[in-house]
Amino acid sequence: MSYLDLTLADLHQALVAKKVTPLQLAAEALKRAKANGDNAFERFMENEAFAIASALKEPEANNPFWGIPFVIKDNFSTKGIETTASSNILNGYIPSFDATVVARLLAAHAVPIAKSTLDELAMGGSGTTGHKGPTFNPYDPKHERMIGGSSCGSAVSVCANIVPFALGSDTGDSVRKPASFAGLVGFKPTWGRISRFGLFPFAPSLDHVGYFTRSVEDAALALAVIAGSDIEDATTSHKQIEDYTRLLKKDIKGVKIAVISEVVETIRNKAVIAAFDETLTALKKQGAIVSYVSLDKQMLETIFPTYLTLCCAEATSNNANLDGIKFGPRFEGKTYQEVMLKARTAGFSELIKRRFVIGSFALMRENQDVLFLRAQKNRRKIVNAVNAILKDHDVIYLPAAPGIAPKFLESGDRLSDTYLIADNHLVLGNFSGLPSITIPIGFEDKMPFGGNVMGRAFEEALVLQVAEKIENATGYRNLSVKAVNL
Amino acid sequence: MNFEAVIGLEIHVEMKTKSKMFSRAPVTFGALPNTSVLPLDMAFPGTMPVVNKQAVINAIRVSNALHMEIDREIWFDRKNYFYSDLPKGFQITQARRPIGSNGWLDIEVDGVTKHVDIERLHMEEDTCMQHHLFDSTLLDYNRAGIPLIEIVTRPTIRSGAEAMKYVEKIRSIVTFADVSDGKMEEGSLRCDVNISLRPYGVTKLGTKCEIKNLNSIVAIEKAIEFEIKRQAELLLSGQPVEQETRRYEEVKKETVLMRKKTDAVDYKYFVEPNLVPIKLSEKFIQDAITSCPELADSKKARYIKDYGLSDYDASIILLDKEVAAYFDRSVKLSPHSKLLANWITVDIAGYSNKTGKTIREFSVSPEHLATLVSMIDKGQISNKQARQIFEAMIEQHGEPRALADKLGMMQVSDESVILAHIKDTLDANPQSIEDFKAGKERAVGFLVGQIMKKTGGKINPGLTSKLLLEELKKR
Amino acid sequence: MKEINKSVLKSASNSLLFDMTDEQYAVLEKEFTILLKQMDLIGQTQGIDDLEPMTFPFDVATDSLREDVPSEPLPRDVALQNAKDVVDGQIKLPKVVG
Repeated sequence: MSYLDLTLADLHQALVAKKVTPLQLAAEALKRAKANGDNAFERFMENEAFAIASALKEPEANNPFWGIPFVIKDNFSTKGIETTASSNILNGYIPSFDATVVARLLAAHAVPIAKSTLDELAMGGSGTTGHKGPTFNPYDPKHERMIGGSSCGSAVSVCANIVPFALGSDTGDSVRKPASFAGLVGFKPTWGRISRFGLFPFAPSLDHVGYFTRSVEDAALALAVIAGSDIEDATTSHKQIEDYTRLLKKDIKGVKIAVISEVVETIRNKAVIAAFDETLTALKKQGAIVSYVSLDKQMLETIFPTYLTLCCAEATSNNANLDGIKFGPRFEGKTYQEVMLKARTAGFSELIKRRFVIGSFALMRENQDVLFLRAQKNRRKIVNAVNAILKDHDVIYLPAAPGIAPKFLESGDRLSDTYLIADNHLVLGNFSGLPSITIPIGFEDKMPFGGNVMGRAFEEALVLQVAEKIENATGYRNLSVKAVNL
Repeated sequence: MNFEAVIGLEIHVEMKTKSKMFSRAPVTFGALPNTSVLPLDMAFPGTMPVVNKQAVINAIRVSNALHMEIDREIWFDRKNYFYSDLPKGFQITQARRPIGSNGWLDIEVDGVTKHVDIERLHMEEDTCMQHHLFDSTLLDYNRAGIPLIEIVTRPTIRSGAEAMKYVEKIRSIVTFADVSDGKMEEGSLRCDVNISLRPYGVTKLGTKCEIKNLNSIVAIEKAIEFEIKRQAELLLSGQPVEQETRRYEEVKKETVLMRKKTDAVDYKYFVEPNLVPIKLSEKFIQDAITSCPELADSKKARYIKDYGLSDYDASIILLDKEVAAYFDRSVKLSPHSKLLANWITVDIAGYSNKTGKTIREFSVSPEHLATLVSMIDKGQISNKQARQIFEAMIEQHGEPRALADKLGMMQVSDESVILAHIKDTLDANPQSIEDFKAGKERAVGFLVGQIMKKTGGKINPGLTSKLLLEELKKR
Repeated sequence: MKEINKSVLKSASNSLLFDMTDEQYAVLEKEFTILLKQMDLIGQTQGIDDLEPMTFPFDVATDSLREDVPSEPLPRDVALQNAKDVVDGQIKLPKVVG
């Protein structure tokens, strides 16, 4: 067993005890990354990793990230390192600055080893639309199943024991859904808790920085390092950073947990329901009060179209800067319009273009009222309903997805209530900006699936606490492909 | 004329804050291309806007000067369109909630007060500069992101003269408030005109044309006059006025078709999701207003009341903020405000006109001017001598007293010195003493003349006469 | 609301400065049909239009403003390092008219 197979917290102890060095870890991580066949990486950061790791001599006992190798989703700007968001329109783009979260991790002496693949421009949930092709789920050696998206590469890097921590982004579930398909802890804190400066925007009112770990404790440790207000991001909160581990190991007697009946009812997978119920039982045993609450089913079915309208509208505007003129592949033309048109036609995939047209259409003057604005109104309606639940309960807990990672060729019925509700309820966390975490709760056919806990704004400590209790009950701390012996 | 001109003006004011509207890059003018940019100005992915406090303060000051309602929350919107000078593919502006709304300005046109209704004032960011070469265009991002204030009137203006006066007043406000250089020739104040005609008495608006490329205040009047004539001719001959964007041609003094306006462009406005709404407290707004440098109207009232200047002189001084500042400094050091005003509006102005130098570049400081004026008032030098010293100060950059001395001009007013000269002269002219005693008045004049000759004209004549008489009486 | 057909979609994509293939327009038209039906259902919800449109996930209003202190600008070569057509320290485009 290599030290690299430990959780971040345990690895930190080993580093402090000088049982292993950052250089050894970086070397091993890069070796594993290069050997990985799941198409998880855009590029490796060998030079940077070795330069940083070899300069780290004295471990810092109070700094959990000292010497820890980590992976960065390729929609986070990295200074001097090509960053493409897995889109051809950004091939060759080299940022002159680091995203704030990257800078904070580097300041904590973490060791970056690679940029990971994503769905193109983070606009996808299958992990298949990046310009390097599909990313595979390491739990399925036959490569028949996706790992989800958009943070597919980062999910691979953690569940395949390459690194204990990877950055991702979550606009509609892009950390929390792949976490479920990869048996990982996937955490999306409150909107504005972590700076988005340097993160390529998909839909700013829904975008969150998130990350993958193999334990809830790791997720709690990481938050304090990267969270906090940032002068470069006007949407960051000025609330103080807390000790997010402070409620871990404390009992949850009297914590009120709400389960939304309509979501559970649309999940037909017996293994998922059985595992979910088991965790509910465990939570009740520890003194939590579990109740079933109701949300209007028709309203829940509107989550997906509302999300699609809003995120496409914001995305089409955000990506209007991609024209090959300031950066990215440059094309020639007789007019500037031709220059831009050629770059954008060649650089965007077909899916992205369709998304942009939808978004643009929703914003058109004659359509805004019944499309974009109405979607914004519906968002408020939905968020009001979620907040009403959280007035009387501390957290909402649900299965993260209706089943295990789908096969690539599976075509689900996109209009079924299972799809509309069970597959999309994680978007509630983006609409409302509330802290939301996925943790593994079970297996079916050797494929993992997870549960998701969502709490009130800025109550990350409580959400982590409940998640940890579930982790204790399942015993799935430090779950990985290796750990299940594949 | 059969038609009433219905005119609305859109003015863009470039703010001279230290950093840009949303990025921290320095605001520079005339710097080498692309040496004043940060990643946000070039729309690199992942960059985010952060609102400049001083820009907000400036917007509040100008809104207040225009008697506008000030929104207690600041919201921004995205105006989405593609153009070569727009790096993000959208401009961050305030479409739905301008910081200032429903304001007005009163202007004087030929002695008549005209009330101009102002619809809105909002903050937004400037675009790139484009340098057009023969077969290419070069992009300079220095200007991209510089803060702008846009001021839009309701279509209540009725003539080119009114438009000119309005723009002059806006320029006065933004320059005195230290918000902008307000120079149309340099592009720090830009004016677009929207104009349509309609028969008198009709309330329905005619088809309007937009006029751009106005590079001076005078051009505004000329362009409007031409456009009124052009549209009137069309309408009188039964032809429709088509909705067009036209550019003003300086040389021919004509407006020329730039492009036809088809449908109004759809900018797909939506709230900028990277800028959370900013709450303005009453204190913040009040502080912004009370800390505003004094505007021209207020100065004018003071100049007339406290310094006794005429309306005309005050107006001349207040045409230029730097001139007013010069005047303000000089009156602090000398009570001779009218004299100072005269020197400023005649002599310094004359010098400026002749040399093209501004009062900023003028080498005579207000302190020195105040001293010069004092010397005149004290009778130490004559007006003619003052002018010589003035010229010398411009050329040689000296202090007036020192220069006067150097030029041998200082009139002696030291009584003991004058008395000495008087005694000498009386001793040398005993006959004149006798003549004086005999009642011959011209003896005094003769004696004064002698003393003047003796001292090369450097003594104070008035004082000399007085002392001479006293001395004569003693003899 | 604008009616959906290939010409409307083509005009929409061209105004976004890209082209799509005919097959893609067909796929897009299908996607729109589903989406518009769903959005229409939302429109039929009681009282939906009485709500304020929501941009931000919760009350995020602040009184924070950035002090007007300039930063060091990028060195010019860094600012332009990603641009492929640079002349005289400026990015070159075909001549812009109008």
